[in-house]
Amino acid sequence: MSSKNEQQSLESKKKVNSHNPTLATLLSFVPGLGQYYNRRYIKGSILFILFAAFIIAFYDFLNIGYWGLFTLGTVPRIDDSRVLLSQGIISLILTAFALTFYVANIIDARKDAKRIQEGWTIPSMKDAFRDAWDKGFPYLLVGPGLFLLVFVVIFPLLYMVFIAFTNYSLYNSPPRHLLSWVGFDNFKALITMPIWRKTFFTVLSWTVIWTAVATSLQIGLAMFLAIIVNDPRVRFKRLIRTVLILPWAVPAFVTIIIFSAIFNDNFGAINRDIIIPLFGGDGIPWLTDPFWTKVALISIQTWLGFPFVFALFTGVLQSISSDWYEAADIDGANRWQKFSNITFPHLMFATAPLLIMQYAGNFNNFTIIYLFNQGGPAVRGQNAGGTDILISWVYKLTFETSNFNMAAAISILLGLMVATFAFFQFRKTKSFKEEGNY
Amino acid sequence: MFKKSTLLTLVLMLVFSLMLAACGPQREEAQPTPAPAETGDATTDDATDADLPAKPESLTMWVNDEESQLQAYEEITAKYEAERGITVNIVPFSMLDQLDALSLDGPAGLGPDLFFHPHDRVGSIHLQGLAAELEVTEEMLAGYPEGAIQALSYEGFQYGIPAVIETYGLFYNTDLIPEAPQTMDELVEIAKGLTNAANDEYGFLMEATNFYFTYPFLAGPGGYVFGRDAEGGYNIEDIGLGNEGAVQGGQLIQSWFEEGLIPRGITGDVMNGLFRQGKVGAVVTGPWSIPDYVADLGDKLKVTTLPTIDGKNLNSFSGVKGWFVSEYSENKYWATDLALFITNATNGEHYFNVAGEIPARTDVTIEDELRNGILAQAEFAEPMPNVPEMSQVWTPMGDALQFISNGEDVAEVLQEAVDQIAEQIALTAGN
Repeated sequence: MSSKNEQQSLESKKKVNSHNPTLATLLSFVPGLGQYYNRRYIKGSILFILFAAFIIAFYDFLNIGYWGLFTLGTVPRIDDSRVLLSQGIISLILTAFALTFYVANIIDARKDAKRIQEGWTIPSMKDAFRDAWDKGFPYLLVGPGLFLLVFVVIFPLLYMVFIAFTNYSLYNSPPRHLLSWVGFDNFKALITMPIWRKTFFTVLSWTVIWTAVATSLQIGLAMFLAIIVNDPRVRFKRLIRTVLILPWAVPAFVTIIIFSAIFNDNFGAINRDIIIPLFGGDGIPWLTDPFWTKVALISIQTWLGFPFVFALFTGVLQSISSDWYEAADIDGANRWQKFSNITFPHLMFATAPLLIMQYAGNFNNFTIIYLFNQGGPAVRGQNAGGTDILISWVYKLTFETSNFNMAAAISILLGLMVATFAFFQFRKTKSFKEEGNY
Repeated sequence: MFKKSTLLTLVLMLVFSLMLAACGPQREEAQPTPAPAETGDATTDDATDADLPAKPESLTMWVNDEESQLQAYEEITAKYEAERGITVNIVPFSMLDQLDALSLDGPAGLGPDLFFHPHDRVGSIHLQGLAAELEVTEEMLAGYPEGAIQALSYEGFQYGIPAVIETYGLFYNTDLIPEAPQTMDELVEIAKGLTNAANDEYGFLMEATNFYFTYPFLAGPGGYVFGRDAEGGYNIEDIGLGNEGAVQGGQLIQSWFEEGLIPRGITGDVMNGLFRQGKVGAVVTGPWSIPDYVADLGDKLKVTTLPTIDGKNLNSFSGVKGWFVSEYSENKYWATDLALFITNATNGEHYFNVAGEIPARTDVTIEDELRNGILAQAEFAEPMPNVPEMSQVWTPMGDALQFISNGEDVAEVLQEAVDQIAEQIALTAGN
């Protein structure tokens, strides 16, 4: 008896164990087969049909895409390297999507097989659907947005990145010529060729100074004004706030063009109606001396940029509870102590991420540099203007001298700099560290 | 349900065959499209109707999106439709955006048959291969100024049919300067008499840090942008902007600033503003300023040629805008025909009357005193070099003129600019 029982249980165990997860995994290398083996026929069929449909629908496209990505075309005029490059990138993106699903399919088959081996019964179709719906709903909502985002954001970025590794310039422009891959040559040229290197580092150093000084000043000014205006003894608060926010209300490009007119060395109001009557002399060479142009730019950016930060700080200041200050008063704290221990930390805690974005924004603030003086004035022996920041230099390289490859290479470096900067700053910001605490 | 193994084999076979087949587009080793035969004299000389390519249903042209220009071309192409029986589709398209769009639309088959562009990017059009090399005979090109035809050709290929010509001249206000000054010395004398910087009154103003306008003063005493080689093409190795003549011209320009005749912060806006207020005797600008100036100055405005230096007329830069046949057009013959038609004498005159731009024709008489002043200068004008290397010239020269206006050593500054241009050209060509 006992032996018979044992045999039966062994048999049933054997039956359960005979479902082999490895086999399911291997089978699902062709999507759907693994699911068939798991006896989930509908799921398997859907996966297989999707797989077949993908291959049939995109086979030609992917074929040309990859071929184009590697060769960038072989026959000038008939092959357009730029089109092939974009097809190649789209193929890469499609492949990435397909691979994600492919791997998910293998993992799914393996997981189901393991569960079956452990005696799990396959759910009925209705249950399976409900289960999938419950788990998958958020992804279903996010999916279309994500898909679009990939084509709107990732695709152009990749295109720019790839151009940096080609020889796309005025003398080698499609459709007459084909592009070819040149590896890191453009980056090498930027660092090794004297004319590029000299200009690159001059422009980079001004870009850094510009970002640091202009942004810090705009934040400093905003903080100073916000704290003053927030003082309970100040009257007509609303009027003052409105006035202070006005610079923000006028479109920046209009303001900048007007400023470039009133900073004109001979005809501008600043020299003519302020500096010369007050101090005499010939006025300050605002647009012809690089130093004074830089001063003018930083002042204008401070003026343009502070209202936003001011509005931000005003909001935060009002949310600081007066209990804190009362407690501080009881402890006998002075003004400076109250500011440095209560006001300042509160301000920074709430606004740091936005302030970092101010720095990143000024790093690439093309509008003001270009509209004010086109990056001028000229500096002898340098092929960028005296106030060109990296982004305006890139613009000139692209649209004035058609150095597309170099412009793309510099853009990559620019992007990396901003990204690193932002990444480390965000990580150090308390508001992000403590995000999970709420 | 069929056996698993069968299915597996089938699927594996499918996958492998796909992988094996994946090796680029299937096409016969495509021949590069043969370049249109070099101006086949034999066929085009006495072309009878039977020799002509079949007429297309319609032709498409991109017309600069300015209302008066669109209107003019609509009227002109209506005549073409009546005469040739080919419909012409006009697509409004900003002139300066046309090249970028064409380089993508053309290969994709979406481009026009004709597009409109200034000549200074002919070199770039050639490098990108966007325009067809036209099959035109001398007979067809009779009536267009030689310089304009040259401006639209590159490396021996005729790429475009001239439509509009543009240069600048001396505009003066008869209230302040009753008689047109003939020589530069005369003009400087007049300027000295009229200038009173404290009141914003000037005798003579120009954008003297803009290379486009200052070129004639550098070229007058012997400067030039690029030398010519034996075949009449530009020799980009030979840059003549630092030579003795150019330095002499540079010193002349510098003297205007040093004597306070022209203020350092001069820009186009300032110049136009003061001239329109009647505070300036004479300015150097182009026909595009005429409508604004006339509105403020009326009959007081006169236009004449640039003053002479040492008895020689100054060669201003001229711009030629022309019609190009797209390389991707399927009806190149008829597109050329249309381009010739819309720029012929009658239509050129009509275009001038509607759009106000000066037609690039020698056989059109214009009844407009102001534009005739520009036309008089156009006789001495030389087209801006159309080689792509020209794009490397503007910034260094503009910078150099800025330094000159600041009083730095002219010879040194110009030599630096020349070196920089040469270096930039070598750099882009090397890439």
